Amino acid sequence: MKRRSILLAALLATTLGVAPALALALDVVATCPSMGALVRTVAPNANLTVLAGPDRDLHSLQAKPSMIRALRGADLVVAVGAELEVGWLPAASTSAANPAILPGRVGYFEAAAQVPLLDVGGSASRALGDVHPAGNPHVDLDPVRMAQVAEALAARLGQLDAAGASRYRANARRFAKAVDRRLPDWQARLASAPGVVLYHRDAVYLLDRFGVPLLGTIEPVPGVPPSGRDLRKLTGELRGLQGVIVHAPYQSPKAPRKLARDLGWPVRVLPMSPPLGADGNGYLSHIDAWVDAIAVAN
Amino acid sequence: MQHSLLPGALCAALLVPAATALADDGDIAELRAELEAMRKQYETRIRQLERRLSDAERAARTAQPPARAEALSQPMSAPLAPSVEQPTTKGASGAFGAVTAGSAFNPQISVILDGNYYQDDTDNGDGAALVGEAFMPGRGHGHSHDAEGDVHDHGGHSHAVAENGFNFREAELSFSATVDPYFDAAAYIAIDGDGNVELEEAYFDTRSLPYGLKIKGGKFLSDFGYANNQHPHQWDFVDQNLPYLNLLGFHGLQDTGLQLSWVPADLPFYARIGGEALQGNQEIFGATVSDEAQEEFNLGSTNTGPRLYTAFAKVAPELGRNHALQIGLSYAHAEQHQEVHSHTHAVHDEHDEHDEHDEHDEHAHEEEAHEHEDEHEHEDDHGHAHGDGVTEELHQTGLGGNADLWGIDLVYKYDAPGAYGQGDFTFQTEYLRSTKDLTVRSSAHPEQIGSSRKLTTDGLYAQATYGFLPRWKAGLRYDILGLTNKVSGGRSESFGSSDRWTLDVTWNLSEFSRLRAQYAYNDILVAENERERFNAFYVQFLMSLGTHGAHKF
Repeated sequence: MKRRSILLAALLATTLGVAPALALALDVVATCPSMGALVRTVAPNANLTVLAGPDRDLHSLQAKPSMIRALRGADLVVAVGAELEVGWLPAASTSAANPAILPGRVGYFEAAAQVPLLDVGGSASRALGDVHPAGNPHVDLDPVRMAQVAEALAARLGQLDAAGASRYRANARRFAKAVDRRLPDWQARLASAPGVVLYHRDAVYLLDRFGVPLLGTIEPVPGVPPSGRDLRKLTGELRGLQGVIVHAPYQSPKAPRKLARDLGWPVRVLPMSPPLGADGNGYLSHIDAWVDAIAVAN
Repeated sequence: MQHSLLPGALCAALLVPAATALADDGDIAELRAELEAMRKQYETRIRQLERRLSDAERAARTAQPPARAEALSQPMSAPLAPSVEQPTTKGASGAFGAVTAGSAFNPQISVILDGNYYQDDTDNGDGAALVGEAFMPGRGHGHSHDAEGDVHDHGGHSHAVAENGFNFREAELSFSATVDPYFDAAAYIAIDGDGNVELEEAYFDTRSLPYGLKIKGGKFLSDFGYANNQHPHQWDFVDQNLPYLNLLGFHGLQDTGLQLSWVPADLPFYARIGGEALQGNQEIFGATVSDEAQEEFNLGSTNTGPRLYTAFAKVAPELGRNHALQIGLSYAHAEQHQEVHSHTHAVHDEHDEHDEHDEHDEHAHEEEAHEHEDEHEHEDDHGHAHGDGVTEELHQTGLGGNADLWGIDLVYKYDAPGAYGQGDFTFQTEYLRSTKDLTVRSSAHPEQIGSSRKLTTDGLYAQATYGFLPRWKAGLRYDILGLTNKVSGGRSESFGSSDRWTLDVTWNLSEFSRLRAQYAYNDILVAENERERFNAFYVQFLMSLGTHGAHKF
């Protein structure tokens, strides 16, 4: 039904000789649902393909033929970036034989390249795990950064589709305003949050935004699972403190559960990304869920 | 609230000494722990506040935000978490690039170390070599090499075949980079345990051709089949499967030439079609013998290249985000293929040995089972006498012609939601069929010169892996060579096939290190009527240094 009305509008516009108000239907590929939500908000009429669901680890994914197919016809790929998708996106993009979406071109958009990053620099020694000195890539959990990314994305979409530029800009602004409206509430709810233990440093942008202390990570260094000794050490450090343990669905639940049992803390399993079909509002609900989980442990 | 906590902590600190006098040891420990915890919490809070303050100050100081490039090119020693909150004032341009640590290094470099401990229960401990020398039509050399048999050997270099004990298979150095807006390029150099250096791949690949076209040129692993373009460290098992090992050789179709491929757009499924023109410097398929052998066996010199052509097509239906299935069809044609067959005739002095001919002659063509009077002439150079009045003669036949290879592959992968590959499942199978269309160019039996020999051999492998625990994967493989063994129109050889069952367990300690244990039961045909059945055991390590590896399909 919606499509019919769009068609009708297009027909009207052309018959009336008015420049079509409709923006071009760009083919956009987002690597994860967070980026997909931004695309839906900024360019609701884009043909969007989201490559990975919220229940999969973006860092360990493997390039698949279906990804290559989606990238082959894409006008724009929207990635989180900063080497988060390094294992599979370059391989898939190269195989897709689509020069328009390679890094350095207008068709390649990386959220992490639009905002300041945390955890920049540091040792490149892999004794410290799967380190990425370029910075922590998980910017998509910070709503303020995501609002900035949305505006940059609108500018990029405007370059690809000049006719829709003002619309994209307006949509991004609307999203940024929605984030601004929610911020005081989130800040209030998290003002006295005691702190969080994460499995991996994947929610630090959210914690940093609201000043919630990161009390520790379950993996001793990135990409390396904890040994019994690591867990005992962490338990020793945290005993007596208040907090909540949060981990992603693809992270092993065993260690978080054990730690929670030993400390008497709650455990929450939360995805890094909103559901597959989420738009801007879906993304804000996703942040709501995180805020709830972190604030609840008062 | 923050302020009221601080005096509280101080009070607690002052009270502790008083409490020690009253409380027993357990209470003291508990109090200490509590105090320590409180102190930590305040420290965290204070650090947080300090940082927010300094951030705010900095934001106020810098009226104009620093350029994005500066923020990205901070030195490695930059402090952690400089959370500079700047409003993005980038104009319409934005940042087109990728944030990467690799931008500091050009090219990207990685080194992969691949070593193992190997043990088998063959008499000579040469099981790892035997699996690559399974007997099939046209392969004259079996268990025991002789000087003449070596002319048919593979290009004259050894391939670091595992011996019983410790083996270092190779250190693979890889360099890759985007050359300019038009080309990507990569080089892979393997150094084996003896220090032999070999160029595995060195190629360029276009990055800006339109219409989904790509051209690759240089020395590369062909996209024939599925397993062919994988480097040894990417295999799910320590060693290569029997069909690839015996029909293509240790390196597979690795050659110098050009590849053109096309990924069509706007199809409801994934498809890739391509073809290659290659020089034809092959070990087994499309191999030519040495100059001396070419002269000795009247095979003519090696043609100018390219002598080897391939074509391949892959399709993959849409099965959602977590499942992938790819089916491929491949074909390769070698315009020139040369072989020297050696076989022995057992000749009883009584001339009553017709039955034995068929047993001992590896290519017991009807025509060869005659003319024993002639054969005796060769006794001086080729034959030697058995003690019981039987003479064995070595005959060598030179054959030249062309060869075809067909391949079908099917790969299915399931990406499970579990941690670190738990629940992931893969199934992979390929069927290869090689047909060599040859003409006899030289023979101990002059009347056979000019007659044709068509040799057909095929092979199949099927393997599955399953992530049974986070980071732990089990694999099972069955491979067989010689489901069909045909020599000249329709005549099947009855010697049977070589096959193997392999079981392995792989432990990925991290993204960068991998340990693997593998057991195989081998049933390898080493000669027409001789089998070697043995157990083989590997423990392998793989270490990946440098650039984050690609998770290719």
